[in-house]
Amino acid sequence: MKFNIDDLPVLFPYPRIYPEQYAYMCDLKRTLDNGGHCVLEMPSGTGKTVSLLSLIVAFQQYYPEHRKLIYCSRTMSEIEKALAELKNLMKFRTEQLGYEEDFRGLGLTSRKNLCLHPSVKREKSGAVVDARCRSLTAGFVKEKKERGEDVDLCIYHENLDLLEPHNLIPPGVWTLDDTLQYGESQKQCPYFTVRRMMSFCNVIIYSYHYLLDPKIAERVSRELSKDCIVVFDEAHNIDNVCIESLSIDITEDSLRKAGRGAVNLERKIEEMKATDASKLQNEYAKLVEGLREADEARNEDAFMSNPALPDDLLKEAVPGNIRRAEHFVAFLKRFVEYLKTRMKVLHVISETPPSFLQHLKELTFIEKKPLRFCAERLTSLVRTLELTSIEDYQPLQEVATFATLCATYDKGFLLILEPFESESATVPNPILHLTCLDAAIAIKPVFERFSSVIITSGTISPLEMYPKMLDFTTVVQESYNMTLARRSFLPMIVTRGSDQGAISSGFQIRNDPSVVRNYGNLLVEFAKLTPDGIVVFFPSYLYMESIISMWQGMGTLDAVWKYKLILIETPDSQETSLALETYRHACSNGRGAVLLCVARGKVSEGIDFDHHYGRTVICIGVPFQYTESRILKARLEFLREQYRIRENDFLSFDAMRHAAQCLGRVLRGKDDYGVMVLADRRFQKKRSQLPKWINQALLDADTNLSVDQATSTAKKFLKTMSTPFPARLQDGISTWNEQQLAAHKEKVEDENIAMLQDGIQNGHTGSKGGAAGNEFDDEELDEAMMGIDA
Amino acid sequence: MSRVAQRGGASSANRAGDGEDICPVCKTSRYLNPNMRFLVNPECYHKMCESCVDRIFSHGPAQCPVAGCRRTLRKNKFRKQTFEDIQVEREVDIRRRVADVFNRREEDFDTLLDYNNYLNDVEDLTFNLIYKIDLEESEKKLESYRLDNEQSISQNKALASQESQSAEMRKMMEQEQAKLRREAARREEEQLRREREEGRQEVINKLAAGDGDASKIARESHSIVLKKSSARRAALERQQQLTNESNGATKTNFSIKGLKQKVEPEPEKPYDPFGGLSDARDSYVLQDDYDVDWLRSFKQDPRHNVGGYDFKEFYDRALCDAFSGLGVFIEDEMAGKELSSIAPGSVTAAAQAVTEGNTNEAKIIAEDVF
Ligand code: SF4
Ligand SMILES: [Zn+2]
Ligand SMILES: [Zn+2]
Repeated sequence: MKFNIDDLPVLFPYPRIYPEQYAYMCDLKRTLDNGGHCVLEMPSGTGKTVSLLSLIVAFQQYYPEHRKLIYCSRTMSEIEKALAELKNLMKFRTEQLGYEEDFRGLGLTSRKNLCLHPSVKREKSGAVVDARCRSLTAGFVKEKKERGEDVDLCIYHENLDLLEPHNLIPPGVWTLDDTLQYGESQKQCPYFTVRRMMSFCNVIIYSYHYLLDPKIAERVSRELSKDCIVVFDEAHNIDNVCIESLSIDITEDSLRKAGRGAVNLERKIEEMKATDASKLQNEYAKLVEGLREADEARNEDAFMSNPALPDDLLKEAVPGNIRRAEHFVAFLKRFVEYLKTRMKVLHVISETPPSFLQHLKELTFIEKKPLRFCAERLTSLVRTLELTSIEDYQPLQEVATFATLCATYDKGFLLILEPFESESATVPNPILHLTCLDAAIAIKPVFERFSSVIITSGTISPLEMYPKMLDFTTVVQESYNMTLARRSFLPMIVTRGSDQGAISSGFQIRNDPSVVRNYGNLLVEFAKLTPDGIVVFFPSYLYMESIISMWQGMGTLDAVWKYKLILIETPDSQETSLALETYRHACSNGRGAVLLCVARGKVSEGIDFDHHYGRTVICIGVPFQYTESRILKARLEFLREQYRIRENDFLSFDAMRHAAQCLGRVLRGKDDYGVMVLADRRFQKKRSQLPKWINQALLDADTNLSVDQATSTAKKFLKTMSTPFPARLQDGISTWNEQQLAAHKEKVEDENIAMLQDGIQNGHTGSKGGAAGNEFDDEELDEAMMGIDA
Repeated sequence: MSRVAQRGGASSANRAGDGEDICPVCKTSRYLNPNMRFLVNPECYHKMCESCVDRIFSHGPAQCPVAGCRRTLRKNKFRKQTFEDIQVEREVDIRRRVADVFNRREEDFDTLLDYNNYLNDVEDLTFNLIYKIDLEESEKKLESYRLDNEQSISQNKALASQESQSAEMRKMMEQEQAKLRREAARREEEQLRREREEGRQEVINKLAAGDGDASKIARESHSIVLKKSSARRAALERQQQLTNESNGATKTNFSIKGLKQKVEPEPEKPYDPFGGLSDARDSYVLQDDYDVDWLRSFKQDPRHNVGGYDFKEFYDRALCDAFSGLGVFIEDEMAGKELSSIAPGSVTAAAQAVTEGNTNEAKIIAEDVF
């Protein structure tokens, strides 16, 4: 269908639109018009992606700036889904407009997924694929080949150079599959095709990391212009992604490997001095000038990049004492040795980077400044030495990154040394964590660089938490309701067992047999009444294990077994995917199954249980984080001091976003239905922290239930759901066709006019009046100033 | 991306193995003597166990027992090894020596490039010392530099120690502050909980007493709790503001670093009565003597040669008079003056208008609109 938002004509590839989709698009447009960032929460399963794409594409094509869209998502499958939506949308636009627009949309993922080289693509680990590819494609390898040396090149990569650089792939939208097929047919590398075409694309869809992980972002995303529209979809975990991208763990093992890497480098330098000293001399000469100059050559085959080095640093010359290759390697060796001595300590240490640096200086005479250049200097050296088996230097690179981060940031980072794996362990196995505490550091360049950043997800409540944590300001913050023609999902809060005993996963009572039995009863009852699949979420693996073993003793599992198959998520991803497959099989064929999983595990993120795959979701206990973790404690303290977020507020926010994420798993569209059970006494108070669309559907009567009350409510609900509900009944309420949309717009306009008129009559009360007043006094001021000047 | 490294199970095995735990002198292994400690002597860095050191060197200096090493060692020089790699241990010792002497700071140099070159040279020298390349010459260099620059070395040393001291202080201060804040937060949390508890108790009591409507009591108590918590929050904000401020204050207190530095480097410069105004002549160079016809006779005249009269003064004066008007453009200067005399007034006036406009005028005007 086709409609206008203000003056912008939007083509929407479906005959009907949901009211919330329309509202979402209006807000999006407002954000883009004003320039600025926004946080939007749109219920899951209401076509967020398609609304987003159709509005932004319309915006791109209508206005002359043709702002590029960078769409970031989390997983491969989400990227593929978004690409498919985009393809569909563009097909629709072509049909409607009658001509094909000049448009390119591409998706980027890792080499591992896009490689075509017959032997490289068979490698299991992504890092190995990357490294092997680099050894086949690096610039110096090609030079060697031209000199007639016998080296291997990747033919897929070579073929690209024969093509026009701005037209490696014809216009259109290419899903990852399409790109692969096209690459195969043309014998050209899909990965580099996309990478090189990025600046010629209208839409790029890729994973968060390409923007957030500074080590990748610098390389992949630096040519993107300032006016790009950046979208982070499924962004409810974005703060954790940011933090992870800047945190490094170092073990004794990795230090040993790093030490070995340094020795290897030393050898290579000797070799090169003997054979081709001019190269090292060249590098040296360039480093005298500064990193940026030395870095001119950096391109797609770069080994790795700096972690968020400030720009002014890159322009500065490399400190003299690490300019020479051999000096630098000795420097690294010393640093590695120092870290090794730190690892020998047998008690927990947590310290800030400045105090770490101070100690480092006292012991090894390593100053802060050369340390800051460590990562970049290593990159340059690796490139100069023309190393091919780069994967051997990965640990060394980690150490270098560690060094750079420590020396660059005084605040927002903490070093934590944990000598023992657990409290009870006696054999030390130390880990040195460099943890980033401030999510804003990694994402700051994104907000600074791009004028419009859109953060959106199905569950991103409470909205104001995100701007606070990520330290940015929004122009629009909105959460949408889900308009439903009938109540198609039933959220409930169960606080008591049938025996009226409170149920909770709180520490004091979590292993109480009566609580466990009540939880068991809940599961048994729902196994009886739910058709097809049930998904159960526990706060942690540990708790899940203990409760399952207790259920085993109580006979609960046997009771469930009568109705459903029982499957369990484990930390092993292969086992879990097998369990998932069996689960789906059982839901499609038999009486269904129960999947027991963990609220912070793989299943809770990114696996959908649409339709019969999930009719009931039960959240057993509030999924709080493990608060004894030192890293979490440090982060909580940081949040309190820096952003004034209280520890309990954050913990509860974090728990509730995971709970909401779990609940959202079962409802993947408006024709879907399901029961959502929050089984913990403590949910009663945290209700307001649920996303608006869930909270709104949660009736007061459905809170504070006991197990038997919940069972009967759910029974009733499922009965109404089983009666057929023709789509025509939804018309005009939860879906609009063109006329209904037009009617709605008219109504809104009327209201606006009425409000304006009201405003004029009553003086300036509405926002409009205020705005007019402001405008006016600016003018007045100008006049006043001119008067004085004259 | 998180790079959570695998905890290698092998590492613990490695700790014990590696042949590191056998004394190369007496061949005792850790297995026999679990408390064995190794010591090294910076003379030759040969490792041996504590009991060997006691045994061999207790009676005064003796030769190193390691085969092939003939150095004479003293017991008091033995110490614990800091680094696993003995090479690095030695390197660091040498660096300590070098760093004691070559302690120039970036501020000592005009350009960054100079500083970097200096660093590079020092590093070269250090390398020579470590790898015993031209050992004697390098030692000589080190020594001569030390002798030549004794003063600046000691100055910089003082500066460095001052810096590290203040850093230490700051660190301690910060830790103290953090502890205080943590405690405050905990106390506050505690209080909140207690209050809530009390509130609940009160409600129960009221309900038990049976006077008044149950739901009304519940509502009331709820609103009380709300009020309390919001008041508390405000108080907390205030308190945090306070701690922050004090934080800022302490920070300025401790950065004496900047101050000292400015005062110290230029003590020899005398007091300048002209406040930096230089009397150097930039248009000409004054020569000792000028050979001019009409002056010749005066130069011969003894009246002008008596003490106190100097022809140089005359030249200076004459040339100064001749050149003093050059390079001054009166129009420009006047124009600049006029501007600057007008500008400040108008600016302040405008600023006044802005502030006033923002406060009350704006409101009046806004109301006049409708
Ligand atoms: S260039 Fe492409 S096809 Fe060749 S190895 Fe690299 S990723 Fe694979
Ligand atoms: Zn011994
Ligand atoms: Zn010896």
